Amino acid sequence: MDPTNTELYKLVLHDAPYVIAGYGVLWAALVVYVGMVLRRIMRLEKEVLILGESVERRNAE
Amino acid sequence: MKQLKVAIVLLVVGGLLTTAAFFMAFYTAEVQRFGTITVTEQLDTAYPLQSVSADGFQYGRPWFSQKIFYFHVPVAEASFLVFGVAAFFAIRFLITKRREYDTKSRMAMETSLIFVVLTMITGMLWTRASWGIWWEWEPRLTTYFIMTLLMIAYFVLRNSIEDEERRATYGAVFAIIAFIDAPISFFITRLIPSSHPIVFQSGMASSNLVPFIVAQVGMLMVGYAIYTMRMGEEILYERVEAVKEALED
Repeated sequence: MDPTNTELYKLVLHDAPYVIAGYGVLWAALVVYVGMVLRRIMRLEKEVLILGESVERRNAE
Repeated sequence: MKQLKVAIVLLVVGGLLTTAAFFMAFYTAEVQRFGTITVTEQLDTAYPLQSVSADGFQYGRPWFSQKIFYFHVPVAEASFLVFGVAAFFAIRFLITKRREYDTKSRMAMETSLIFVVLTMITGMLWTRASWGIWWEWEPRLTTYFIMTLLMIAYFVLRNSIEDEERRATYGAVFAIIAFIDAPISFFITRLIPSSHPIVFQSGMASSNLVPFIVAQVGMLMVGYAIYTMRMGEEILYERVEAVKEALED
């Protein structure tokens, strides 16, 4: 490879891990957090349904 | 739930916008330069030659780590804005004493804390790549670090108080006082000498400005979506607790 280009690539490659980590951490954190919230919401919605049925059964009795 | 559907739509649109900004940042945004590099041979490239000396040909050093800017700044600005929303609802709670404002303030604070942590992480990665160090006690970093600690302290304070009304009142007062640090942290680089770059001080090429604005809009959408989802979750949780109590009676 051309030595000057090698020099330029080295400069970019020095920063690359930090740039990749920056974007990676940011996206991963947001996706994981949103996933956790959605899972909790789905669980709570199920719970609301089950409890609603229990209330209806109790009222019918 | 209508609110949840709106949140998911905003999340998808925000996600698409930030992804578009990501590609623009790497494909269309002008490469910024930071310092110079000297090479022995002239490059056969469009990259601008700055000067020629006995040592060789001097070119602007391509500042690849600057690419973090397109996500780091939108996340940071979103953190300030959402923190402002938390302080606003805290004031409304103190005026009205309505519980829903306390919940809104807490949810905004939680959303802001996520953004603050992400700002700190992306900022430290940028600092390491650009300055060669992970941290420097300079004005912007220090005031932002204080803001992070204040936010953590807000949740510690809330968890340490059992009485619901006292917890909400102390939390609201703390959130308002803590928010004073946000404008200080935002403007400090313009008021006293700081090694932290000042965004927009010397203008920005449109190829850099467009991805930044797209990322900013997208990040605000993601922030609002997270806040709405957490609010939805809290409402559901309160409903479940109310039904459980009704069943126990």
